[in-house]
Amino acid sequence: MSHLEHQAHTLLAAYVLDAVDRDERAAVDAHLAECADCRADAAALRETVADLAEADAEAPPRAMRDAVLGRVAQTPQLPPTVSQAPSSAPARRRPRRTAWLVAAAAVAVTGIGAAWGALGGDSASRTLERDVIAVASAPDAHTMELALGDSHLVMSDRMDEVAVMGHAAPMPAHGMEYQLWFVLQDGSYMAGPTFVPDDDGDVMTLADLHDETIMGFTVTEEPMGGSEAPTGDMVAEVSL
Amino acid sequence: MADERRRLHVVRDGAASSPHDRSRALDSLLTRAGRGDEQAFADLYDAAAGAVYGVALRVLRSPALAEEVAQDVLVEVWQHAARFDPATGSARAWIVTMAHRRAIDRVRSEQAHADRLRRHGHLFEASAPEPDDIVDVSYRAWRAERVRDGLSRLSDKQREALELAFTKGYTHTELARSLGVPLGTAKARVRDGLMKLRDLWEESP
Ligand SMILES: [Zn+2]
Repeated sequence: MSHLEHQAHTLLAAYVLDAVDRDERAAVDAHLAECADCRADAAALRETVADLAEADAEAPPRAMRDAVLGRVAQTPQLPPTVSQAPSSAPARRRPRRTAWLVAAAAVAVTGIGAAWGALGGDSASRTLERDVIAVASAPDAHTMELALGDSHLVMSDRMDEVAVMGHAAPMPAHGMEYQLWFVLQDGSYMAGPTFVPDDDGDVMTLADLHDETIMGFTVTEEPMGGSEAPTGDMVAEVSL
Repeated sequence: MADERRRLHVVRDGAASSPHDRSRALDSLLTRAGRGDEQAFADLYDAAAGAVYGVALRVLRSPALAEEVAQDVLVEVWQHAARFDPATGSARAWIVTMAHRRAIDRVRSEQAHADRLRRHGHLFEASAPEPDDIVDVSYRAWRAERVRDGLSRLSDKQREALELAFTKGYTHTELARSLGVPLGTAKARVRDGLMKLRDLWEESP
């Protein structure tokens, strides 16, 4: 047993109790991905922690039920995929998804930019996912339907961000991507991130609103890498 | 369906239904919520919100903070419901450990905030209670008979370590410092304590 493995084994209890720091958590996560025995141990220990926690059950404030169910009615759900190691058949699926997610995230930060392949790895896509969730669960999150398969656009003024998430989105034409545009008060367009659905038709992207007053959003098809101003067909539109 | 509702009603009333039945009912509700079934989610709320709020309150102490965190966790449960895989554990554990983790994250971020303030001289004293005090307060909260019984079978040191980790969000490093013991010892106390509980409760679920 390597030192790291040993470390992961002795940390398992602390891990399920959240008594680990970030690096330790990452080390245990990495080990769990490979070790079925430890996964089973972790699952059993989680049940024990749940027993401990349930002993503290306490009636929540009455108003909380309506508040939660109200938010749920406005909150899109994440698709069931992700977080599993790629199986051998759709071998390209995971890396490709990661690539466009990373690109979408990078473009969202920098405006239009050729960010393809700049970064890599799962953690970036998880970061994007987490950021999208943060927007979607902001107290002032405002959800609108987006006619791109079964998609939604979620906007939070407080976080100054807008997220697109959905599934069953059709593929853009070959060599093209979708691009999100912000419609400003004077009717001009500000460029947002480009994105393409993954093989399952799932889409996810995130953009900074830059404190602009936004009148609406459109999605167009643009050549790979996106455009400075909309050139392609409008595929979806949301006005506020 | 009718069966399930009957079971859930029992869960809501906290009356005696087997833990296994309760747990299975929650698995099925979470799975259905994952397919977008809002009614299933409402039933899940009724079965699980008390545990979510309770653990948040236990860790955070403030009812207002606990409610905020509990709400966020329950919405997160809805968002991620489709990713729940019953093969990897129960819905109950999935939900409650998520609540615990978010509450601990919150404690740590509040703590980091307080530390920053203190470093800049705006806050002069730490309001953390003494460890002995913590254990006492904890005792009142560990109400359920089974949990109390399980905890009573741990050594004092195991119990103290486990409670600090569980309710205060101490990492094992902080635990070692706070208890004045070597890191390996702190880690071992948490591990031995939790494993002993697991073994006890697996014997008599
Ligand atoms: Zn292992």
